Amino acid sequence: MRKKKFQNSRNRALGLFGGLAVLLLIVLVAAAMLGAESLPLFDLNEQQHSILFDIRLPRIFLGACVGASLAVAGAGLQSLLRNPLAEPYLLGVSNGAALGTMLAFVFFEQFELSRPTLAFAGAGLATIAVYRMAKSGAGMNVERLVLSGVIVTTFLSSVIVMLTTLLDAAKLRSFTFWLLGDLSQATRMGVYLSFAAAIAGTAVMMSQARALNLMMVGERDAFDFGVEVGRVRILVFGAASLVVGAAVAASGSVGYVGLIVPHLVRLSVGSDNRLVVPFSAIAGAIFVVFADTIARTAIAPRELPVGAVTALIGAPMFIYLLRRN
Amino acid sequence: MKTRNFSFNSRCQNAIFSAIFLLTAFCLAGCRTAHDVAEQPVSVPTRTVTDELGRTVTIPVNLKRAVSLAPNLTENIFAVGAGDRLVGVTTFCNYPDAAKSIAKIGDTMNPNMESIVALRPDIVFVSTASQIEAFMKTLAANGIAVYVTNPDSLEGVLRNLRQLGDLFGTGERAEELTAELQARIDKLKQPDSNRVRVFVQISREPLFTIGKQAFLTAALENAGAESVTAGVESAYPKLSKETASALNPEALILSESPDNMEPNAAFRNSPAIRNGRVYKVNADILSRPGPRLVDALEQIARDLHPAQR
Repeated sequence: MRKKKFQNSRNRALGLFGGLAVLLLIVLVAAAMLGAESLPLFDLNEQQHSILFDIRLPRIFLGACVGASLAVAGAGLQSLLRNPLAEPYLLGVSNGAALGTMLAFVFFEQFELSRPTLAFAGAGLATIAVYRMAKSGAGMNVERLVLSGVIVTTFLSSVIVMLTTLLDAAKLRSFTFWLLGDLSQATRMGVYLSFAAAIAGTAVMMSQARALNLMMVGERDAFDFGVEVGRVRILVFGAASLVVGAAVAASGSVGYVGLIVPHLVRLSVGSDNRLVVPFSAIAGAIFVVFADTIARTAIAPRELPVGAVTALIGAPMFIYLLRRN
Repeated sequence: MKTRNFSFNSRCQNAIFSAIFLLTAFCLAGCRTAHDVAEQPVSVPTRTVTDELGRTVTIPVNLKRAVSLAPNLTENIFAVGAGDRLVGVTTFCNYPDAAKSIAKIGDTMNPNMESIVALRPDIVFVSTASQIEAFMKTLAANGIAVYVTNPDSLEGVLRNLRQLGDLFGTGERAEELTAELQARIDKLKQPDSNRVRVFVQISREPLFTIGKQAFLTAALENAGAESVTAGVESAYPKLSKETASALNPEALILSESPDNMEPNAAFRNSPAIRNGRVYKVNADILSRPGPRLVDALEQIARDLHPAQR
C-alpha cells in the first residue's frame, strides 16, 4: 500500500519532469525561431547562418544556463537557510558578484577569465558576510537574515554607484546597462563557462539534496540524523557562489529568477530537494529564455535589458504567490 | 525621479539660503571695513531675450560673466570670440585648451549649484540634451538668468553661433564664422546617388548606435553618407546584433574611445569589413553639436569619397 503510493508519486514526478523537459525544448526552439531578424526555416544563406549560430543561439544557451544557475542557487539557499526569501539577488550574492566583475572590468580588462573569477570571489565573500551577520548566539532567524541581506545588498550597491561615478563616461554607459542584466554580450567562452558552472553547481546541490531535506527541519535535528552540517553549508554556499558568479559575470544581475522559480516548483512537486533542485534548473532555464525572447523582440530592432523583463514578470508573480499562501 | 530630484534640490536650496545668510551675517559683522565699497550694485542696462524653449530671460546688455553647462556650448562660445567671458564650465569641457583653465562647476549631468552661485554669473547656458530641467528651475529660482539652447542639427549649430554672437555682442565674428562653416559644408555636398550606407558604432559592447533622433543621422547626409539605422526610434538605441548584421553597412564609423576601437563581431561578414572600410572619428568632434562637427563631416567625407578630394 505504502509502496504503491510512493511509486505513484515517483511516477508523477517523473512525468512532470519529462513534461518540463519537453517544455524547455519547445521554448528553446521557439526562441531560436524568433528574433529581431526573421530567418527562414531551411536554406539559410551565409549571413542568416551567422545570425543564427553566432548571435542568436549562443545568447539563448547562455540565457538557459544563467536561468538554471540562478534558480538552483535560490533553491539551495532557501533550503539551507530555511528561508523562502533567500535568493541570490536579495541576499547580496548577485551584487557581490557584480562588484567583483566590475573590479575585473576596471583593472584586469585584458584577461577574460578575470571576470568570472572575481565574480565568484565577490559572490562568495558576500554570502559569508550575510551569513556571519545573520548568525547570532541564539542561532539564525528569518528577520535577521533578510535584514543582513538588505544591508549587504545596499552597501554593495553604493560601492558600485561610487565606482561608476569614478569610471570614465564611455565605460560607465556599457556598465550601467550590464548591471540591469543583459544577455546580448554572449560569447562562446561565456556560454561554455556558464554551462560548466551550471552543471557542476546543480550536481553539488543534488548531492546535498538529502542532507538539505533534513536541514529544512532544523540544523540541530539534521545533526542528530548524522548530517555534517558544516560541510553541507560550505558545499551549498560554494556551489551557489560558483553558479551566481558565472551567471553574473556573463550577464549582469538578472533578478527574481532564484526567488519565484523554486517557489513555483515547490508548489507543484513539494519540498523534497531531490526534486526541487533539478526541476528548478529546468524551470529557471525556461523562465530566462522566455524573458530574453521578449527582451530581444518586444521593441526590435532595439533591445530591453533582460533583468527588467524578469523583474516585470517576477514581482507581480511573487505577490500573487504570497497572497495565495 | 524628477520630483525626488526637485525636492532634493529645494532642500539644497534651503541649505544654500541659510549658508548665504550666515555668510552675510559674518561679513556684516567682521569684514565691513576691509571690503569698504565692495561691489555696490549699480544698475546695469538690461534687455530681455527669448531662448530656444520660448522662455523670456532678462540679461545685462553687456555680458561679462557667463557659465556654460555643456562642452559643445563652451566650444561655441569660444568660437564666437567670447571665451574670455566664460567664468565657469563643466569638467567635460576640454576644448579649446583655454577652457581647461576655467573654473569647473561639476559635470554636465551633475552641476554644482553652490559653485555656480559663487561665480555670480550674468547668464548660465544650458543644453536641452543634458536633461537637467529640475536643476534649471532651481537656478532660475535663485535669480540666475538661464538661457536654454538646443543645437540638435547642423543648422542648429549655425543658429546657435548666431544667437551667441548676438548675446555677447560679437555678431560680426559669428557671421564670419557661420559663413565660413556654411561654405565648407556646401563643398562637401555629394549627389544623393553617391551616398555610402554607413553604420555609426557608438559603443561596441553593448552595441549602441545612432537612431532617428540623433543629430548625426541628418548631419551625415552632408558628408555623402546615409546612416543604415536612420529609421530606428530614439537617439542612441541599443541595437540588436542580428539587425546590425543584416543591415550590411558599406562602411563603419567608430566613435573613438578606449572601449570602441574595434567593430562589433556582428559585422564580421559585412561589406564594410570585407572591403576594409572601417574609420575612426574622434568621439568629441563626432558627438558635440559645435563648430568642430564640420571637421568630423569633412573627415568622414574624405574617408568615404577619397576620389573626389
